[in-house]
Amino acid sequence: MAEVVFFVASLGAIGGAVGVVALRNPFYSVLALVGHLLSLAALFLLLRAEFVAAAQVVVYAGAVMVLYVFVVAYIGGADRPVRTTGPGLGLAAPLFAGALFVELCLAMLGSGLKAIDAQGAPYEAGFGSPGQIGELFLTRFLLPFEVASYLLLIAAVGAVILARRRRGLEEEGLEDVPTVTVADLFRLEPGVGTQAESGGMLQDRRERDERERKGGW
Amino acid sequence: MTPEAPHIDWAGLSPIVALTAGGIVVLAAGLFRGAWLRRYGVPLLTLLTLGATAGLSIWQWGEDKAIVSRALAVDDLAMFLNLLFCAGAIAAVVLALRDSSPEESGHGEWHALLISSVLGMTVLASAQNLVVVFLGFELLSIPLYVMCATNLRRSKSLESGLKYLIVGSVGSATLLYGLAMIYGATGATGFEQIATALSSQAGLIDDPLTLTGIGLIVVGFCFKVSAAPFHQWTPDVYEGAPTPVTAFMAVATKAAAFGAFVRLFDVALIDAATNWSPLLAAVAVASIVVGNVGALTQTSLKRLLAWSSIAQAGYMLAAVVVADREGVEALAFYLAVYLVMNLAAFAVIVARERETPFGDDIRSLAGLGASRPALAWPMTLAMLSLAGIPATAGFIGKFTLIGATVDGGYTWLGVAIVVGSMLSLYYYLRVVAAMWLSDVPVPAAREPVPAIAGGSPELDAAADPEDGAGQDAGPDRPVSQAEATAVAVLFGAATLFFGILPSPLFDLARDAGSALGLL
Repeated sequence: MAEVVFFVASLGAIGGAVGVVALRNPFYSVLALVGHLLSLAALFLLLRAEFVAAAQVVVYAGAVMVLYVFVVAYIGGADRPVRTTGPGLGLAAPLFAGALFVELCLAMLGSGLKAIDAQGAPYEAGFGSPGQIGELFLTRFLLPFEVASYLLLIAAVGAVILARRRRGLEEEGLEDVPTVTVADLFRLEPGVGTQAESGGMLQDRRERDERERKGGW
Repeated sequence: MTPEAPHIDWAGLSPIVALTAGGIVVLAAGLFRGAWLRRYGVPLLTLLTLGATAGLSIWQWGEDKAIVSRALAVDDLAMFLNLLFCAGAIAAVVLALRDSSPEESGHGEWHALLISSVLGMTVLASAQNLVVVFLGFELLSIPLYVMCATNLRRSKSLESGLKYLIVGSVGSATLLYGLAMIYGATGATGFEQIATALSSQAGLIDDPLTLTGIGLIVVGFCFKVSAAPFHQWTPDVYEGAPTPVTAFMAVATKAAAFGAFVRLFDVALIDAATNWSPLLAAVAVASIVVGNVGALTQTSLKRLLAWSSIAQAGYMLAAVVVADREGVEALAFYLAVYLVMNLAAFAVIVARERETPFGDDIRSLAGLGASRPALAWPMTLAMLSLAGIPATAGFIGKFTLIGATVDGGYTWLGVAIVVGSMLSLYYYLRVVAAMWLSDVPVPAAREPVPAIAGGSPELDAAADPEDGAGQDAGPDRPVSQAEATAVAVLFGAATLFFGILPSPLFDLARDAGSALGLL
């Protein structure tokens, strides 16, 4: 049974990965990636890492991939298929990928590690459970855990900087780019996020505020 | 059984705590309403943070401990590198005071990214665990990718950021693959456990899994230190990025990556040295050749320094190959020297970019010796030092590097360094010649330098258009660059000082070199 699941999931994972690269339509690429991630989740299940498998499905195949689908749908690009840039790259890329593939195969097949040919490391009760993972995060990997959270914060800041550049650097001077003040953070404007905002009723009030703001410092 | 929370040595962690807190404060300070506060308050807070980090690192000098579940090492090598990161970042903040990139991307965000990058370097340089290595690597890189693209009005800046992101991600992925292989082979993520596994289990050193892991890690690090043949991104990224960012990236990233390189290879993988040293030696020689040959024909100063940095990465890799205490000492010393001479050169480029219409082209330096000796001398010293002329810090640095390679049994690598330096004289001296031997070019747009800017920072400040003087300059370019000149003079003087009196720096490097416990 385990062998059947392994081969089905492996073929799914490889097929999905090939599909991500080979498919011309970005939307199909994202769907292939979803298939790839689901197959990986099945492989994690085989390794008795139930929590990682569930997280893989919920976080990656669920949340992150939905985001990808939204982005692809929002930006479009289905009508403009991705092209490779030139014959040099088209030749060199598969060459290097092939070299890496051979290298990794050598590493895996040529390895003298005993566990590779056997049933693998023995299974310990509680391995990979949420409790154990949480414990590792708070003990042995406390520092990496904290660094990772700071990394996510700073990546979000960077994304905001890059996304902000699209908006109107050409049409308005930089001085006019509205800046949020600390006071604004604590003073939630009434009506934000409601139908009134999308209907443009908040717009008039904002413009009034803007005029006042320019007067003061 | 209730899990025991690890003991946290707050004193040892203090430089990292200072950087984290400072980054958050600076990010929030970017929301100040007053433009003046944002423009000068945020850099001031950033300088305070970096100064505090440097101070705490000095306070922790002489300690030798592993903190937070042995994830980080607090030793003299880490603290030495911390000081280098802070020096590079402080110079970048000062050079960026009047740059357009913080203005366009938001002062708070720009400086918070800079501090985060320093934090990543600090984590990377003291990492003692494969997981921490990778996270430090990413925390260093991701802010830099964004900072390269912060000159929002130039498409070259975006191109630089995008290229760095893509190539850097390939490097990160390769590194991660390699780290996973090493974990798979040894079953451990901590450096000491890896070293124990490699030394105790027979045949593990020559196992294909270990070898592949080492190979992939070398590739990942070589991307970051821009060693050939993984260097192709360097000239484009250096040229496109805002010059203060380039200056920081050139000196600090290299120090961080070499710090992690030497700790990982000389501590965790030291028993496999017979396998990786020929590989690294080949990469070092390739870098020396490619970097020096590539720089010969460059006319853009930033590209020239990029190619020169590839060659310098080759010189420094030679010190990693040696894998003994003398090698680490020479590497630490050279990293400091490299920082000093490159910052002097980049400060001059920043000043001339704003003063002349030629950007970072070599023409922007023409006639500098007569018109702005305060800029010409630091640049001259930096170029002579990069080439390794006696009485400059670069000579002492190369001398120790070559000494370490010869003592370590790699005399031919020392010969490669000498030959590379001879080649490099051609392009470094070309820059010097442009400053002292050629006349001021006829500018396309306007006079490059008013006669009043004789060189001293006081005079330059007096000629500042914001004070009403120096009206003959273009409307958008301030004429004098007092702060860039000050940075150039400071680091130019340091280049000369450490060239004549290297012992203070050498003592620090010796402490740093003995931190890893090598023979």
